[in-house]
Amino acid sequence: MPPFLDIFFLQQLLNGLSVGLVYALVAIGFTLIFGVLNVVNFAHGEIYMLGAYAGLVAIATFAPPFAIVLLLVAASGALLGFGLERIAFKPFRRFRDEASLKSKAVREATLMSSLAVSIVVREVTEKGFGADMQIVPPAFRLQEPIFLGELVVIDGQLWILGAAILMYAALQYVLFRTDVGLSIRAIASNPLGAQMVGINVDRTVIATFAIGSLMGAIAGILIGLYLADITPHMGFGPGVKAFVAMVMGGLNSIPGAVVCAIFLGVMEAVATEFIAQGWSELVAYTFLVITLVFFPTGLFGAGRERV
Amino acid sequence: MSRGSLTWAALAVALFVVIPLALSLAGSGYAFRVVATVLIFAILSVSMHLIMGVGGLFSLGHGAFYGIGAYAAALLSTKAGLPFVATLPLAGLAAALLGALVALPTMRLVSIYFAVATLGIGQMIFVTLLNWVDFTGGPLGIRGIPPPSLFGLDLSDALGTYMVCAAITAFTVLVAHRCGHGYYGNALRALREDDQCAGAMGIDTVRLKIEVFSIACFLAGLAGALWSHTTGFISPNDFAFPISILILAMVVVGGLGSLPGALIGAALLILLPELLRPVGDVRQIAVGAVMFGCILFLPKGLFGEVSALAFARRQLGAAWTTPDGRLAGWR
Repeated sequence: MPPFLDIFFLQQLLNGLSVGLVYALVAIGFTLIFGVLNVVNFAHGEIYMLGAYAGLVAIATFAPPFAIVLLLVAASGALLGFGLERIAFKPFRRFRDEASLKSKAVREATLMSSLAVSIVVREVTEKGFGADMQIVPPAFRLQEPIFLGELVVIDGQLWILGAAILMYAALQYVLFRTDVGLSIRAIASNPLGAQMVGINVDRTVIATFAIGSLMGAIAGILIGLYLADITPHMGFGPGVKAFVAMVMGGLNSIPGAVVCAIFLGVMEAVATEFIAQGWSELVAYTFLVITLVFFPTGLFGAGRERV
Repeated sequence: MSRGSLTWAALAVALFVVIPLALSLAGSGYAFRVVATVLIFAILSVSMHLIMGVGGLFSLGHGAFYGIGAYAAALLSTKAGLPFVATLPLAGLAAALLGALVALPTMRLVSIYFAVATLGIGQMIFVTLLNWVDFTGGPLGIRGIPPPSLFGLDLSDALGTYMVCAAITAFTVLVAHRCGHGYYGNALRALREDDQCAGAMGIDTVRLKIEVFSIACFLAGLAGALWSHTTGFISPNDFAFPISILILAMVVVGGLGSLPGALIGAALLILLPELLRPVGDVRQIAVGAVMFGCILFLPKGLFGEVSALAFARRQLGAAWTTPDGRLAGWR
């Protein structure tokens, strides 16, 4: 056995895997929204952050059972996705002809409007709750260690694993077995054609945002309780990592994004074995730039027009 | 005297005589400091205007090149003891060199992919500034950067600082005017609209993009050097992602592709949070709200590109005139 492959290294791998699963949960929503609208939703990290805050507010006010907290967070995530779509994306979908659907100006307008909304949301949250870390009541923290021989698994990691598997399966079910999923896939493949065969584009886009944001919000509360670290700025890191995973995975491929997100999390954990904590941030960005320069279609993507 | 040179003279008088006179009469160092910040950000937004407004390259990492300039100036003056006249151009060159290095592999990407690549590179630079403690001082930053001086002439007081910033801003505006309002600018605007088509017309798109990106990074480096010399203290957070967004917002609010718009955007987004100071620290909220409002209600910006080009041709003398006095094409 090579010398670094000891129990600490395995422990790091395990922690990296759970971080990667969180990135994957964020990346699923991100990729779903990108796949349908072909625009980047910069406010996805803020949905993740607000999901954590929504759960925290529920816990602080009436301390419901954990399952109810998750349900409330899911509901508020879906609601936030709906609101986000109405505010930042709907006003720019008034042009429906093919030229403007493909035009740079419209795409960049939604990019910038979601960026602007994300700034306002983050700063208003900071004004409302303060910039400091929120205190999570100990009873709700997902930090119970479970010993497996020499390895330590935290129960939060198991929750994250369970949530990731469950939501991935649910998403596949929705996408491939329901009418909503059918219309989502139709619009993702050809928005104009979907409209011509009578699919309600507006409603489908809202559904997409609701599903994607619901997943982001659940990821936010789980990681918030697992790390007991809820701040207004918590969304930026995972948001960017999810973005990197999406680009690496080939933009329209949800399985690709999930695989790449897990890979990123593990690579970051492995990197901390060899370099200082602060520098491990570089890992994701390095992968991003390498992917864009050398594999512009992503690692799992099919061909697309132009990058 | 032609109309163009009259307008330029009026602008120069306003920048170098009227504004400093008014600020001196107002008699507060605070007002001078705010206006110097406006000028530094005007340089940044004008350089961003060249990349994004004219060249159509969506950069989300411009603050990092500003940071490179600031750190280059700070390290050259504190560790190597070079004077301001040397650190200023060297900081610009450092940023331009890095900009060209970044541009070489990424220029073949278009729109959002280029934006993401610059976001990644900007964050890489930020993480390096933050963690390379031996060289950059890490999160504590660099202290005791000497104030600007010119051949023994001390410019550390409020008026001197203002004059230095104003002179560099004027230089930046002239560079952007020459690059943006002419054949060169037409080529850039062509590749912004459709780079494949521009390439088919015989424009070397990749070379042009690398050139304009390097020029803009040079200007951002100058702004960084000014920032570090006029404040005397820098830390990585002065050049983090929100600053890139602030610069982007200035260009968007002013109007993409409009040089006067970039100046107006810089002034608005620096002065507005200062005016709102009694309400509390709402800088970021104001930036986000103004940007969102502009995208939604004024997609062309406060001073749109068409009126900006008409202004440049008519008032700045950037067009040929026919014998009967009508405007005909770019000079």
